Amino acid sequence: MNREYDFTLTFSVPTGLEQEALESALFESGCDDAIIGLGQKGRLALNFTREAESAEKAMLSALQQVKKAVPEAQLVEAGPDLVGISDMASLLNFSRQNMRKLIQTHLASFPLPVHEGASALWHLVDVLTWFSETQRRAIPTDLMDVAGVSMGVNLVREVRRVDHQLQAQLDSIA
Amino acid sequence: MPRKRHANKDIEEAVAYAELQGWRIEIRKGHAWGRMYCPFNTKDCRCGEFCVASIWSTPKNTQNHAKQIRRIVDNCTGNRSAGGKDHES
Repeated sequence: MNREYDFTLTFSVPTGLEQEALESALFESGCDDAIIGLGQKGRLALNFTREAESAEKAMLSALQQVKKAVPEAQLVEAGPDLVGISDMASLLNFSRQNMRKLIQTHLASFPLPVHEGASALWHLVDVLTWFSETQRRAIPTDLMDVAGVSMGVNLVREVRRVDHQLQAQLDSIA
Repeated sequence: MPRKRHANKDIEEAVAYAELQGWRIEIRKGHAWGRMYCPFNTKDCRCGEFCVASIWSTPKNTQNHAKQIRRIVDNCTGNRSAGGKDHES
């Protein structure tokens, strides 16, 4: 049975492209199930609500359609993936303060962040898995799936840049 | 002058909701019925790319499109009422 997946793709686009032409091309290519954001110079964002067999199929078909409509577009980020404390708090219905406290008290088991510091970031799928496994929170499957695929899309985009020799050396340490 | 209404009831309601929160609606012609502009298109606004969003004349699913519009509005104003500048961290 098909499910509905909610996700956002953000692209970098040449600043010269006309808004109206972008809208038309995206509509024609099948992105009529997304709302398009053009509020930032050189960026194109699409928030999809896509019906598909799987989160993977939903996101791959969306990426294909955008690429077809706007060949110059380069993916910046897929979401929901990278989340900070306030994102987690609002997704899981905590106050920011309580969310922070929860992390502090479960420091040993809470997923490791991607980035630490003033604005720490986590992969959402790790956080959801933690909540489901250690806190017995019911996490909607479609959200879990789409967070997993989003992380995959973002990581693949990055991993292509890794030097193979460096990777081999790092693997031998870990 | 009154704004032209969206032919779909759900979307029209979502657009009216956006206007109530201070968003400006600009009517277009073509696949996009119009565009919505965030009233706080500034640094302390949270919607980022969605500060300007296109509203389809005939989206694939009108109810979902209405939800998308409302979500953009809520993400923006929701953060403001929750204390504005506190973006992340």
